[in-house]
Amino acid sequence: MDTQLAIRDLSVDFRTPGGRVHALRHIDLDVPKGKILGIVGESGSGKSTVIWTVLRLLAGNAVVTGGKIDFGGKDVLGFDEAALRAYRGEEVSVIFQDPMTSQIPVLTYGQQMLDILYRRRNLSVAEKRKLAIAMMRRVGIADPEMRIRSYPHQFSGGMRQRISIAMALMMDPFLLIADEPTTALDVTMEAQIMHLMRSLQAELQATLVVVSHNLGLIAQLCDEVVVMYAGEVVERGDVRQIFYDAQHPYTRALIECDPARVLERSRLLPTIAGDLPDLRDLPAGCVFAARCPKVFDMCLTVAPPLYVAGARHDARCHLLHPQKGDPGWPPPIGEITLYEPDPPSREAAEFASTPVALKSGTAASGQGPMLKVDSLRVRFRSMGALRARLAGVADPFVDAVRNISFELERGETLGVVGESGSGKTTAARAILGLVKTHSGSVAYRGRELTGLSAAAFKPLRRDMAMMFQDPVGSLSPRQTVLSLVTEPFDIHRVPVDDRYREAERLCDMVRFPRNFLSRYPHELSGGQARRVGVARALALQPQLILADEPTAGLDVSVQGEILNLMGELQRTHGLSYMIITHNLPVVRHIADRLAIMYLGRIVEYGNCDRIFARPAHPYTEALVKGIPRPDPEKRRSLVSIEGEVPSLARRPPGCEFHPRCPYAQDRCRTEEPLDRPLDDGRLIRCHFPLTG
Amino acid sequence: MSANPSDIAAAPLAPVERRFSARREKLLSFLQNGQGMFGLTLVLLFFASAIFAPWIAPYDPNALDIPARMQGPSWAHLAGTDQLGRDTFSRVLYGGRVALKIAAIGVSASLALGIVLGIIAGYGPRWLDSLMLLAFDTVRAFPVIVLALAVVAVTGPSLELVLIIIIVTSVPGYARLVRTSTLALKNTEFITAEQSLGASTWRIMAKHIMPNVVGPLLILGAMDVPVVVTVEAGLSFLGLGVLPPQASWGTILNEGYLVIRETPWLVVAGGIPLVLTTLGFTFLGEALRDVLDPRLRKGR
Repeated sequence: MDTQLAIRDLSVDFRTPGGRVHALRHIDLDVPKGKILGIVGESGSGKSTVIWTVLRLLAGNAVVTGGKIDFGGKDVLGFDEAALRAYRGEEVSVIFQDPMTSQIPVLTYGQQMLDILYRRRNLSVAEKRKLAIAMMRRVGIADPEMRIRSYPHQFSGGMRQRISIAMALMMDPFLLIADEPTTALDVTMEAQIMHLMRSLQAELQATLVVVSHNLGLIAQLCDEVVVMYAGEVVERGDVRQIFYDAQHPYTRALIECDPARVLERSRLLPTIAGDLPDLRDLPAGCVFAARCPKVFDMCLTVAPPLYVAGARHDARCHLLHPQKGDPGWPPPIGEITLYEPDPPSREAAEFASTPVALKSGTAASGQGPMLKVDSLRVRFRSMGALRARLAGVADPFVDAVRNISFELERGETLGVVGESGSGKTTAARAILGLVKTHSGSVAYRGRELTGLSAAAFKPLRRDMAMMFQDPVGSLSPRQTVLSLVTEPFDIHRVPVDDRYREAERLCDMVRFPRNFLSRYPHELSGGQARRVGVARALALQPQLILADEPTAGLDVSVQGEILNLMGELQRTHGLSYMIITHNLPVVRHIADRLAIMYLGRIVEYGNCDRIFARPAHPYTEALVKGIPRPDPEKRRSLVSIEGEVPSLARRPPGCEFHPRCPYAQDRCRTEEPLDRPLDDGRLIRCHFPLTG
Repeated sequence: MSANPSDIAAAPLAPVERRFSARREKLLSFLQNGQGMFGLTLVLLFFASAIFAPWIAPYDPNALDIPARMQGPSWAHLAGTDQLGRDTFSRVLYGGRVALKIAAIGVSASLALGIVLGIIAGYGPRWLDSLMLLAFDTVRAFPVIVLALAVVAVTGPSLELVLIIIIVTSVPGYARLVRTSTLALKNTEFITAEQSLGASTWRIMAKHIMPNVVGPLLILGAMDVPVVVTVEAGLSFLGLGVLPPQASWGTILNEGYLVIRETPWLVVAGGIPLVLTTLGFTFLGEALRDVLDPRLRKGR
């Protein structure tokens, strides 16, 4: 088989004040021509360093300490500046994770795409423009003659990513590198982009490298897979070999941890205990030994070579050693090889649940459900009053949340799911009084929250806490963890005898290492920062927690840990959760009830399991089907839902979902559906529900 | 780290780890910055000479010695004497005290005011922001010297007046900078997180916004010290600042200017410390910026 790119024994170090970080060690990988290679790994695995090395765009403090990169017979590491310019863009191009930041905001797409062709001197501007338009049409952008004059901010995230693909294909490169191409996108957009990449690849016979932490994407898209851990290739093989016959315990663990894989509810999710090894001071044996459930003596002393596990399938694990290995490994798929997560020891649990002398019963004495939201409406001004009058706009507002109603009982979890722009975060912020509500009511245990003054709301804030989306960004950057977790006590003037002890109690509760109390947020990993966020939310023993994307930005293995932790805290403290997410597999494990939101409305509301088993609203169905399953045999051939979320300012008439609905009929285009109950107690906003 | 959760829980109350690495790294990178060290030396020299002037100065700065007037440098008078026979070296040292006083009080007061006003403008309601911006821009529209001339015409010259003029004219610059950084912080998630915990506006401004805006400001402050010193010298030179018997670099220059045809040494002696102080603080400020500004250190 022809290889487009061959990396041999590549090692890269980073010089840092703390010592040399051995970021990549002896990387061997081949990208066959006309195939899609996936590189999977969690953060810190070195997968991005590989692509930056291939592009020769490494940071200034990086040193390539050995190895070779062969690109179609040429030595990439030996290129001079002129050769590099010809190589980048012309022979290899990149689709970046975030099209928002990788496109130039002040140039139109036409200008940007013509710029890419600047080396093609023999083409006239008109010819180049024609090429650009053809390419835009090819990636599925309607009306490209018009759209080519648009700027990046005029496009939505999915459209921008389409353009990124178009730009990457402009020079007809030999190799296309996609770095987390769908991570910044919603589920329905992800499905569309994945479909587009697959069909373009088949059409052009392009060679593609897809770098991602998303196993679903890799399984759906790739032909071959390389699994990386701590700067090493731990396993490589055909996509089926990797997903059905994983030989390395790490690969196996990753697959087991993926929340999309585990379908049952209310069970502890498997997690990979421990952390990445320190890449400055590597262990003598296997890099995964410290976290490996199958570790044995040889792993601690001898670094494993790549053992052959099958045709074009290798794994760096001593379990495959012909004599000393384990012939029973790997166990059949479905068996969990990871340790069951330990419940906390009794002593620790007791310590953790002995709070400072405080009771949260300050204002929470009323009756009624924990949270009752009735016809909540939030609107934002879309233009100034004067401008609206001049432009003749009668109603210069957009509704971010439009008359939503739901209830949340004690100890219950409500999942609020929707694409970006569905108003789910705004709804949570309105409940906490962080944005102004227009109409409707929010009652906490029978007490009305809308219209409360800041002073009147303050005591109630002890009972309800919010966890924010960005684990690190929601922590004040110049405060230590100690002052962050004890700040709620200061804010609410709760007397604390010993701040340290209280901080340690909270750390234990969320399993945050106590000796990190003097760290600053930027010195924490995503999972650790998330734990600090949980500790802050729990400091005053609230009753209700609103969690905005609690697992966003976390690695798969850490996602499981956070979800387990939240579940455990719910059981021990009787918390109620409102979890806002676009990630359906995550809520499936934790939610009792679901509210599916679209354009600021709840379109389906009811029992979580029933909704997953039989979605009634076409939008819910699209979301449920849109989850990329980490299973290469179950590739979806069709995109379930077309188009994008319309602008809030231009709501479609009739049923607001009809332009994207595969089942839409004439009635949907004109008549607005009302909430109506199904037999199983669900509420649905659709003329023609799929079930019931 | 958290290899096994029960390990952590079972451990006795562990001492909080001590880490100096980040600070030590910054210190090291500062020490390796030659220009910064040169600047620091000059600045320390400036401070030392101003503070210890009474002990270092060989003569009383105001003692007249008419027979020895307008001498060049000699062992008796290191920097010569002026037209009244006063020892220029001693006067320069005492002039440094004025400069230090003006610089220290002027810059720190403007910084403090600038930070407070800037945060209020950035975090407060929009109408207040517009109002404050209008005020800042109005003040900034006046050239310092012209403003000083106008005020002195009414009140008469004094050191206090110089200070007030310096503070009033430099606050808007700092405040605008703080306001811009505050606006950027205002909608970040961690501020919303503080609001959701019920933190008061004052608490958010003092504990969460201020620490994030002062960094670049301190650097700007260091680089503004020479500006303040020259403004004082300039005003004194024009006769709007420090009054004649008292020594200041500006008055020395002024007097030297009158007799420049007879002896150039006065202008030289008054000018050199001004130049050295300016260089010192500028180098120091630039080095601080290089070391502290994370964007310049990332190396990517």
